[in-house]
Amino acid sequence: MKFLVVDDSATMRRIVINSLQRIGFHDTVEAADGQDALSKFDSSVKFVITDWNMPNMSGTELTKVLRSRPDGAAVPILMVTARSVKEDILTAMEAGVNNYIVKPFTPQTLKEKIDALLPVAAA
Amino acid sequence: MSNSRAQEVLYESEAALRLVDQELHDLHEMSREDHRVNSTGLADLPQILERANAQILSVLARLRESRAALQRSTVDNLHVTHEKLREVTSATEDAAINIMDACDRATGLVDELDAIDAQPQPDRAKAGALRSTLRDELFLMMGALQFQDITSQQLSHASSVLVDMEQRLIDVSKLFDTNGTHEGTVAIPANASRAGSFDPNATTRDAEGRQALADEIFTASKAPAA
Repeated sequence: MKFLVVDDSATMRRIVINSLQRIGFHDTVEAADGQDALSKFDSSVKFVITDWNMPNMSGTELTKVLRSRPDGAAVPILMVTARSVKEDILTAMEAGVNNYIVKPFTPQTLKEKIDALLPVAAA
Repeated sequence: MSNSRAQEVLYESEAALRLVDQELHDLHEMSREDHRVNSTGLADLPQILERANAQILSVLARLRESRAALQRSTVDNLHVTHEKLREVTSATEDAAINIMDACDRATGLVDELDAIDAQPQPDRAKAGALRSTLRDELFLMMGALQFQDITSQQLSHASSVLVDMEQRLIDVSKLFDTNGTHEGTVAIPANASRAGSFDPNATTRDAEGRQALADEIFTASKAPAA
């Protein structure tokens, strides 16, 4: 299963990708912002993990664009962000993300959220 | 007082200064007129000066108010920035300690593995368990490096506050630049306004509590309506 990991922090991309590899997902592609992600997204991507605050295009904007596309309408999108006030979480939900992880996160939290969304990815 | 309110007061002060300038100009014109009509217009001078004095006092009062507003907002911003910088220091230290602790534990695990290897009949099962724990410790070290992303956002926020204050100081200095000679093209760093690329509230604190809030909201959204 191919994961698209979107974050403007190279450190975070590496941490997320290492976490994915540790739980058995080795097929990953990374992007530095929403625009970069759109250029790398295709039907082979089965799962998107994205940050919120990024230059050029934010994670919520990316989510809205993907949700408007036939090939992105159903792909599981997991938001991993430092933003954590209630209004932000609701905004992300309205944009169309499937679940939400607050930074800094534990590998266990990442695994739980991915496991919960695997049936969506497989559908 | 918010930044926008301080900005408003600043603009109002500028408008008041323009009014005074206009008033003085009018007074000047009036005195010229008086002079033409009656060369003994000096009798009106006390009233003219009183009116000018009243206008100047009004402007000074407005300037004092704007100065107070700017001071309050500047102090608030500096306080927030100071807190952010303290949190950066704290997060950096916490991460360093977590990594050092994990290094200590990893070193201990390697020592135990060496001891097992040195035995005539090494306990493979125990060694396997130790290796698994060692991997967990190494992974924990990597996870601790998440502080870098958070502190980077906190520093970006602090930087944006400083740039904002710098801009407001330029605005204030322009108010007093009656001749328009201000060379106010201060070079602001190109990456200073990465608006949107950082969260001003980013923090490493209470991650569990904040995650619990997110979980609660998403769980509630999936629950069937009553």
